[in-house]
Amino acid sequence: MTTEAHFVQPPRIAVWLISLFALAEDAESILGDLLEEFSLLASKSGVAAARGWYWRQTIKTVPRLAGFGIRTAPWLTAGAVAGGFLLRRLVGPRVTSVIFAVIERYPAFFEHHFSVYVFFASTAIDIAHLITFLLIGFVVALVARGREMVATMALGFIFGGMAVFAAVYVVTRFGDVTPLPRLAWYFSDAFAVVAAGAMVRTRRLAAKGRPSAA
Amino acid sequence: MRDRDYLGEFEHIIILALLRLEDRAYGVTVRQEIELRTDREVSIGAVYATLDRLERKGYVASHRGDPTPERGGRSKRFFRITADGVKAVRRTHRALESMTEGLGLVRSYA
Repeated sequence: MTTEAHFVQPPRIAVWLISLFALAEDAESILGDLLEEFSLLASKSGVAAARGWYWRQTIKTVPRLAGFGIRTAPWLTAGAVAGGFLLRRLVGPRVTSVIFAVIERYPAFFEHHFSVYVFFASTAIDIAHLITFLLIGFVVALVARGREMVATMALGFIFGGMAVFAAVYVVTRFGDVTPLPRLAWYFSDAFAVVAAGAMVRTRRLAAKGRPSAA
Repeated sequence: MRDRDYLGEFEHIIILALLRLEDRAYGVTVRQEIELRTDREVSIGAVYATLDRLERKGYVASHRGDPTPERGGRSKRFFRITADGVKAVRRTHRALESMTEGLGLVRSYA
């Protein structure tokens, strides 16, 4: 084994992805196995080939781990996703109401600061929704212990899919293209749910005292 | 234990790899043994997902080895086949032999 190969590390993002999706009892042995083969391959075929191999293994392994996570706890995962969906239905409509309640509470201020009013009545609502989705993602990930990523990704796909469906429906049915630019915000909302899952999972891994990187 | 439970294709391959490797069976050796003998690229995720499923069925048992520096201080997880696993692989082989008996498949594809 060469000195260079001995100290070379596998791709950090790939390592992080596997640690996000692997069950706690499997993560240590899977990452150890991959590092062992990676080091051997790096000394035999070079670092670039070893990194390529590591990424191929990651791309094939992550869906397997996600599928296994769902199969071993289907009710926990489904319950967390359904709960997150209901929470969104419950909280979502109130976000806009709260923003407008703030505007109505200080009419004199907003009359003198029209640009602030425009911001509150448009972008602030979008940001508030984004934060709401992030919080919903945290709740779902906290409930779906060990399956944080599959639960939040499933919910993210549902929200993203609903946004696309609604946009296509409005455009084709009414010829109204105004929802299309808003798709970026809707996708950001879906991404916020997944990001919350990744944050909770990473925090839990760190709390366990195992480094997620090799 | 389900007496009529047959092993799936990849479960079967994994069990045979464990039998070949005996007490050296862990993720790396199992994956390499399968790649070497079947000439098919196998992901570590597929190996672990199947081994975990077999362990839940009671066909495989596992224990942890000591952490080693070349694995970044991580331990190996060794696997071995159980008595129920041996029964399951025999049952599967009998079923396959029974189904292929008289078909002359080996001759015609040789």
